[in-house]
Amino acid sequence: MSSIVRVSNLDKYFGRLHVLKEVSIDVAPREVVCIIGRSGSGKSTLLRCINFLEEPSFGTIEVDGLKVEASGRGKEHRQLVHDVRLKTGMVFQEFNLFPHMSVLENVIEGPVTVKGMDRSKAIELAEQNLDSVGLLFKKDEYPNRLSGGQKQRVAIARALTMEPRVMLFDEPTSALDPELIGEVLNVMKKVAKDGMTMLVVTHEMGFAREVADRVLVMADGEIVEDEKPEKLFDKPKDPRTKALIDRYRTGGQ
Amino acid sequence: MGPDTTASLPNPVMSQAELLYQAQQRKDRQFRLFVGITWFVIFLFLIFLFSGPIKIDREFVANNLVFVAGGIGETIRISLLSIILAIILALLAALARLSTVPPIYALSTFYVSLIRGTPLYLQIFFFFLALPQLGIILPGLWAGVIALGLNYGAYMSEIFRAGLSSVGKGQREAAMALGMTPIQTMRRVVLPQALRFAIPPIGNDFIAMTKDSALVAATGFVHELMWRATKVGRAQFHNLEALIMAAIFYWMMTLILSYIQSIIEVRLSRGER
Repeated sequence: MSSIVRVSNLDKYFGRLHVLKEVSIDVAPREVVCIIGRSGSGKSTLLRCINFLEEPSFGTIEVDGLKVEASGRGKEHRQLVHDVRLKTGMVFQEFNLFPHMSVLENVIEGPVTVKGMDRSKAIELAEQNLDSVGLLFKKDEYPNRLSGGQKQRVAIARALTMEPRVMLFDEPTSALDPELIGEVLNVMKKVAKDGMTMLVVTHEMGFAREVADRVLVMADGEIVEDEKPEKLFDKPKDPRTKALIDRYRTGGQ
Repeated sequence: MGPDTTASLPNPVMSQAELLYQAQQRKDRQFRLFVGITWFVIFLFLIFLFSGPIKIDREFVANNLVFVAGGIGETIRISLLSIILAIILALLAALARLSTVPPIYALSTFYVSLIRGTPLYLQIFFFFLALPQLGIILPGLWAGVIALGLNYGAYMSEIFRAGLSSVGKGQREAAMALGMTPIQTMRRVVLPQALRFAIPPIGNDFIAMTKDSALVAATGFVHELMWRATKVGRAQFHNLEALIMAAIFYWMMTLILSYIQSIIEVRLSRGER
């Protein structure tokens, strides 16, 4: 099967710090890939390179047929990056809802401002997505009136309303109180079931095990393991993977 | 939610908290009452002073009230125009301060440094008296507006800078991830939040400016409140009456503006943060 996301030989330096070392991944359409690893292993940076929130230093990113070189500059490159961002939706650890806009305004902002979509059509689409994350009844509230879990579900609806080909989740439950994690994971499962291609950076081993088609383990800027979850969690090959999984087991996960 | 709903509960813990709360409320009310009474007493004292011990020429006041009050419009006009100019300059200076292009950054810091390093009084005279020597003669009102606008713009740029930096990095990233261009990000996400942050201090500056606009009177070219008061006061040796009239007008204006500002602030805080 041809891949929808292909990262080839990606390097990223922060100053002298080498945070991604020739990382390559392939993601097939409708595949759910979880990326796990200790903090500082480069997993968030890898995700953020895919939609160029971080400029990779070397390598190429390919999303749905759009090939972008890390070394690219100029107008053409900026256009390519823009097009990649249209194909990718992103959900952040800290939600990053726009506090000066209501829930509905948050969700239609992208389609109306970026795509120039007709407002009424955007509202229709937004309401569908808010309904599917179970928050249509909050559409006129402002984000400060929502719980963390609700904020994150709105953020997911906001990303989905751009009708992306790929969804990127950057530790979507790490900022949440434990009792609010479940509602967000449930929405993510639903998105996966609807056939969305997903890359999920997470510490939720249970979610990775249950939902992911593949789990990538990162350590020191490299992918040290790339396996089906049942295999990875039962018989980890790399000692670093084993340590990671054990840590979460003993941590009561 | 309110304390009244718990007052009827027989719960002893709640009622103790309730008692403390009520005591605090009573104290607050008492404090405000005494403040109000003291204000009133000062007022009465002033009225007493001016009705007896201090001689006020009522006829002068009656004859010149309309003339002095006629300056209110000009004071408001110059303040409004100046604040608009100041806001534009402040925003440009704050944005330029974020620039990574050295000349743009330098322009902003140079402007702020020069204006903040010299007296407002000097700046006003510069536009009225020094520029004509170079053949540049500005109409009185505009010279005042430019001087005040330039001065307040330099100070207000700090407000906008704080406003812009109050908008977190995550907000920009969320906008970028949606595919917004840098200009769209600024216009739709960063500026609205920065402006909301900046509006209360802008209100303070506007109130301060209505008073600083009196400095323009010194040049003699703008016939606003202060100019009119000093004109009739000096001419008829009734500076006391004239200045008191002007003071009352300024005071009323700032009271009204403060009131409007407090309404705006309440509106802004709704649905925020």
